[in-house]
Formats: sequence, structure tokens, C-alpha cells
Amino acid sequence: MAIAPATPKSWYLPTKPHKFCPGCGHGIVLKALGENIDELGIQNDIIFGCDIGCSLLAWDFFACDSTQTHHGRVTPVMVGLKRSRPELLTVGYMGDGGGYSIGSQHLLNAAVRNETITLILVNNTNYGMTGGQMSPTTLPGQVTETTPLGRDTAITGYPTKGPEFLSTLTSDGAYIARATVSKYKQLKRFMRNALRNQIEGNGFSFLEVLATCPTNWRTNAQQTWNFLEDEIEKEFRVGEMKTPFGKGDKEVAVD
Amino acid sequence: MEKIVEGSTRAFLTGNETIAWASLVAGAEFMFGYPITPQNEIMHYWTRLAPKYGRGFLQTEDEISAGFTVCGAVQGGKKAFTATAGPGNVLMQEPFGMAEAMRLPMVAIIQQRGGPSSGTVIYSQQEVNLTTFGGNGEGYRIVYSTASHQELYDYTIKAFNTAWTYRFPTFILGDGYQAKMREPLELYDPQEKGITLAESFPLVGLPGVIGENRQPQHLNNIYSLEEELYEKVMTFSAVFEKISPEIVEYEEDSCEGADIILISHGVVSRAARDAMLILRSQGIKAGYFRPVTLRPFPDEALKKVILQSNAKKALIAESSYGQLTRLIKQSIYGETINIDTLYKPGVGIVDYDIINKVKSIL
Amino acid sequence: MSYREVFVFPNNGQDRIVEAFVGEYASGKSEAAINRALELFSAGQSVTLVDLDTVEPFYTIRPLKEALIAKGLNVISFSRSDSFGLGETGAMLHPQARWTLMHEGSLIIDVGYGVHGIRTLNLIEGAYESPELEIVAVINSCRPMTNSVSKIVDYIKELGRIDAIVANAHLGDETTVKDVINGNMIITRAADILNIPVKYAGVDEKLRDEISKIDLSWRIKYFTRYMPQAMW
Repeated sequence: MAIAPATPKSWYLPTKPHKFCPGCGHGIVLKALGENIDELGIQNDIIFGCDIGCSLLAWDFFACDSTQTHHGRVTPVMVGLKRSRPELLTVGYMGDGGGYSIGSQHLLNAAVRNETITLILVNNTNYGMTGGQMSPTTLPGQVTETTPLGRDTAITGYPTKGPEFLSTLTSDGAYIARATVSKYKQLKRFMRNALRNQIEGNGFSFLEVLATCPTNWRTNAQQTWNFLEDEIEKEFRVGEMKTPFGKGDKEVAVD
Repeated sequence: MEKIVEGSTRAFLTGNETIAWASLVAGAEFMFGYPITPQNEIMHYWTRLAPKYGRGFLQTEDEISAGFTVCGAVQGGKKAFTATAGPGNVLMQEPFGMAEAMRLPMVAIIQQRGGPSSGTVIYSQQEVNLTTFGGNGEGYRIVYSTASHQELYDYTIKAFNTAWTYRFPTFILGDGYQAKMREPLELYDPQEKGITLAESFPLVGLPGVIGENRQPQHLNNIYSLEEELYEKVMTFSAVFEKISPEIVEYEEDSCEGADIILISHGVVSRAARDAMLILRSQGIKAGYFRPVTLRPFPDEALKKVILQSNAKKALIAESSYGQLTRLIKQSIYGETINIDTLYKPGVGIVDYDIINKVKSIL
Repeated sequence: MSYREVFVFPNNGQDRIVEAFVGEYASGKSEAAINRALELFSAGQSVTLVDLDTVEPFYTIRPLKEALIAKGLNVISFSRSDSFGLGETGAMLHPQARWTLMHEGSLIIDVGYGVHGIRTLNLIEGAYESPELEIVAVINSCRPMTNSVSKIVDYIKELGRIDAIVANAHLGDETTVKDVINGNMIITRAADILNIPVKYAGVDEKLRDEISKIDLSWRIKYFTRYMPQAMW
């Protein structure tokens, strides 16, 4: 019986151990991406693009060509690359601030145009790198540096539901899903689908991943896990919202 | 593939069309654009011509995206460009900054309109500051300020070569008048003229197998420490200063022994040259100096011209309020020549504006 | 009531002229339109010149409006002074342009360039149904998209319905007799293939002496150039 290697082959070892905080969800997401790159055999075809925010810490994470961009702008850079080099697989990596706030105009227009790119958005409900401010996905009542009394929905509205709005915007061929780092096998499968969809040239692919941020949440290990599973996953529905592969994942909670 | 321009022919075009044709013959493979007057016909003609020659176009959601998609395309190794003006130029400063930081050979056409803010859609020379030094950095950019349709054609071809030779973002600084004027020019195939087109090359998505015969490419523009950035910026500065003498261009006419030197750039320099000739015909010894590159600026050339001319006065004429003057003053610091100015922000300047001004100050 | 009864107006007892000039930037369509309007005015007609450039409306006959009115034309266009102080660039289509056909007298319509070609005429109510309308394509063979017989044929086909052609080979100030003769020969050959009549060749007034000495098969109209004054 083959034993799976501890680290994916596509990880770039000179930059390991990586720079994310202990308990950060990014490591799990990037492991799922690394394993998928290995299994799909696309290490030489992929261009990995980072946004700004904690996602940029992955700029030299993979033994793949990569480029690090500006806050919110990884989407247009990936669009430009893909349009000019359709044979490449472009994967944009961003956080909830980059994707849903400063880069939302790019995100929704890329989705509408059905750009054949794959975007992975790590949603940890706050701006991590700038010190834990409110983001579009901060939960109602959640305390952040800019919502010291908790997010007041009367003032700042309700959390952005990215996959939900992108499902409405996209046309046939798009793949839209939300996964969570608490369900690794599902995360890896959804990510594989998001990559496969680009490989097959079907259209826009988007995966939001619910992730942990113990440093800015100020939570210990158990509290971190509880917050993710008991609160965040209640607010954000996990599953495949749109898929060109038939019926979608069986674990989808159907309303 | 059908040849784009056969031989060399005189043609009658608007400036914006000229840029579309020049980009085609320069080998541009992709344009990313967003509508803003007065550059629109660059897109209009590019979108009509590009499909015939296998070139691409995407109309993006805004100028920020147009700039960043160009960044992506040039990282992929394709000659790509965009065009904008005024508020669009403001928005594009962000991707232009990334192009400076990552040495991306992007080309942007700027057709200046009136400002600040939405200003007018018509004309100005008010985007000099923005185009030369607009980013949150040191202005590692190459800026050609053109004055005629022939120059729009020649320098657009050159801009792609400069960008891909030196790897700094390169700009054609035109204006709304140049964009819309119609005048004859010579269209030619650059290669038939002996102009070698610079090769494009990818920065990511390279051939080969990672870990076997090549390393992964990791491009970045952000650094953890002050010292890391300092090293980077100092290297950029050294490179930029080293290549500057190869890049600077200017025009000089009749400055030797002149009493007054007329300095201008872009389309205003046409009026300035006419003014110089008329003044000379009237017995007033006027000279003419025009920087073609506003960045890098022809500092040494202008200092030398001033020294050799013995002129006591210079008149700077610009369709903005001191943007050219600022570039000139920092270039010739230490010279004692008296500087007078003719500022008409957002308004055209004709030869008699300059002649009358000269007569009022001599 | 028949269409004619509604829309057709006589002009001093003659049938009026309704001509729309279409063409690319720098083809000379505005020049042709202005010259034609002034010619009809000189012949005693009441003439309305309509600016129908909607793609780039701020660079057309607008700066010339006052001068043309002073010459006796009725001009439907915004003028610079109409726009001054509006604090914005102004509307693209002059409301009167929509109802141009209701004006008495001859109508000369300067249709701006755009990929919609002559479909821009839809902006004038009743234009297509009008039996009076003649659509004239102005072709300059010194432009790269119309510099060969085959390109001109393709280009005119793209435009849609064209009733006549004005051959207007020119290079602005630099135009030579050779440009006029060679260029207009190309345009005429394309017109023959399309079976569309060439109304006349437009030639810069400055070349009158030289051209008039040459025996040319096509009708010549000498243009006074007004458009160079339309820029600053």
C-alpha cells in the first residue's frame, strides 16, 4: 500500500516551513491545492497568482510559476494571463477582503464574462494581515478592530455571500462552490472540480473556503474549531452551488 | 497572414487610428481597454483590425482592470497595451506602479484631456505629472511626448521596442487634439525600414519542467523589510540612470546665439517651432527646444543648449499650469537663465500666442 | 394620409434635395456635406445642414456652426457656445435632428462614422421611408482601410444601402494631382463593381488650376476646405 507523502510534490521546499500563523486555515487550503496539482499533473501548466492580504504569503509557496499582485487585483492579472496564454491554467488566490470588497468589481465581471480561470477565496471573516479589521464576511456581532462592539448589521449590513451571488451571475459552464477547512476531503474534491473545470475549458470556476484565523479571532485551538463549525458554517452554506458536472456534490445541503 | 502594411504609403488618418495601425505593425498581440474620450477610436479601430490579424481585445470593467490585465498578458510574454486619458489615467496609476515594481514591459497610450477631475474630454497637457511620476514610487517609466501623426506612428512602434528592451513601462503621451486631428503620414512596415522588433518573452509560464530543467518563477512586488525594498529601489535607480542616455530624445533648433529659447513639448511644440521661425523672420533671435522624452528628461542636453546659446531668457509654453516647467526647473537647477512662462491649462496654444508673449517680455 | 403628404416639402417650386453623407473619419464626409450645402444655397435653395455624428460629437462641425449660419445655412448642431457653461459635455443628438425631415427646404445630413454605418440614419424619423433620401458614401482611398478596389468594395458592402459615391482621394494639405487621379481611379473601379454611380470626384480648390487642365472622365467638384478650422 502506497503511503501518501507528507508534503505535496508541488510544494516549494526551500520556503517551508511556511509563514502562516499556527492554526491558520491557509495551510490546509494550500495543502489541498498542492495535492490536487500533483494528482492532476499540472505543476508545469499552472500560474499561481496571489492577492494582497495573508494570501500573498503564498507567493513562493509552490514549485510552480507564480505572481503576486495588488489588493483585489489578482483577478484581472489572471484574466490577462489566461486571455493571452489560453494553454496555461491560472489560479488566483485571495481573501474575503480582496475578493468581496476591493476586488469585487473584478470578481463579478470576470464571473459574468465566464472567464476560464480558477479563483480560490479564503474566507476567515476578517482582514488578517492588516490586523483583524471587519471584512465583508464578518459575522453579525463579531468583534474586530473596526467593530469593537461587534458588527452592527444596521450600520454595515450582513455578510457577503459570494458563491450565492456568483451562482446567479454566471452562465452555463461555471463552477461555484463553498468548502470548509473542517471537511478536508470535500475541500479537496471541490478544489479538484474547480481546477478540472478550467482544464476542460468550461468556464469560470470559483471556490470559497471557510477558514480559521485564531490569531485575529484571539481563540485557542478548541475555540477556533468551535467558531468555525458552530458559527461560520451556520452562516455560510457549504456545498456546490453550480457545476457543469451534473448534479453536484452529494453533500450539498439542499434548501 | 496578410501583410499589414505593404511597402510604404502616405495615408490620411486621425491620430487614434494611427496608434491602432502602429500597434499592429509593432506586433502588439492584445489590447485591453475601457472607454474614455478622447482615446476611444484606438479601441474602435483595434477591434475592427485585430480579428483580421489574429490579435486580441478585451473590454474590461474599468481602467484598473485594463491596466492589470495588461500586466498579466505581458507576464505571459505577449506584447499588450492599453489606452486611456484623464480620470482613467488616475485609475491606471495602480497597475502602472506594479509594472514599475516588477519591470513589466507594458505600453500605455495617454491622450490627455482637461483636468482636474472629469475636466473636459477635449484637450490639455495636464497629465505630465501623472504620466511621468504618478505612482507611489520613483517614476521608473519612459514617456514619449509626441507632436504629430507621424510621431504617433513612429513612437508607438518604438514604445513596444523600448518596453521590451528595457523592461520599464512605456508611455505615449498624446492629447485630445492629436487624437482627433486628421493629417497625412507615412505608414510603413518597421522591418522593411530596418527597424528590428524587440522579441517578447514570458516571465511566467516558461517552457521546461520545473525541478528537472528549470526553477519555478516567483514574481513579487512586496517585501517584508525596509532594507529589501531599499536594495530593489536602488537597483532600479541604477538601471534607470544607466539606460537613460540611450533613451532620451529631444529636438533643438537655432538656439546658438539666440536671445530667447522657446521650450515646449508635444503638440504645442509645433506652434513653438512656427513661432521661432516667424520671430526670426522678424529679426528676433529665438531658439527652439523640445524634450521628446519627458521621462527620462534630456537634462544634459538642455543644460548644454542653454550654456552654448548665451540666451538670457527662456519661455516655457504649455497647455497646463507649470507641469513642464517643474520638469525643466529640476533639470537645469543651477542655471541662471531667466524663465518666463505661457500657461494655458486645457487650451490650445498657437504660434501667435507665443510670438505675442515673446514680444511682451523681450 | 400618404407619407409624401406628411414629409415631403417642395423647395422654391423644385423638388428638394435630401442627401446623407456617410464615411469614415478623415474620409472628407463633413467637407463634402458642407460644400454641397453651400452649393445648394448658392443656387437659391433654403438648406439645412444636420450634424449626425454621435460617436464623437465634439469634434465635428460644431466649431463651424456660427460661421456656416453666417453664410446662410440653417445648421442643426450644437455649437461651442451652446455647450459653454453646461458643466458637462452636452447631449449627443440635437433634438431637432430627430425631426429633420420636417424642415422645409433641402437637407444635407453629415452622418458621423461608427460601426453602425448608415443605421445611424434611423435616428432621423422617417429617413428610410423617405423617397427623397439619397445616401452618399464619401471614400478616401488614401486611408488604409479603403486603399484598394477590393477593400472599398468590402467597406461599402458593410455600410449597407448606398445610393451614390463621392470619390474623395486626398491627403489633406499634401494632396497632389497624382493622388487625386490614381486614388479616384481606384474608387471608380470599386463603384463599377458595385454598380453604384460616382456622383463626382471631390478635389481641393487649391488644385483647380492643375486638375482643370487634365481631361478626366469623371465630374469634378472643387471643395473649399472648412474642416481644418474645426480644430483649434
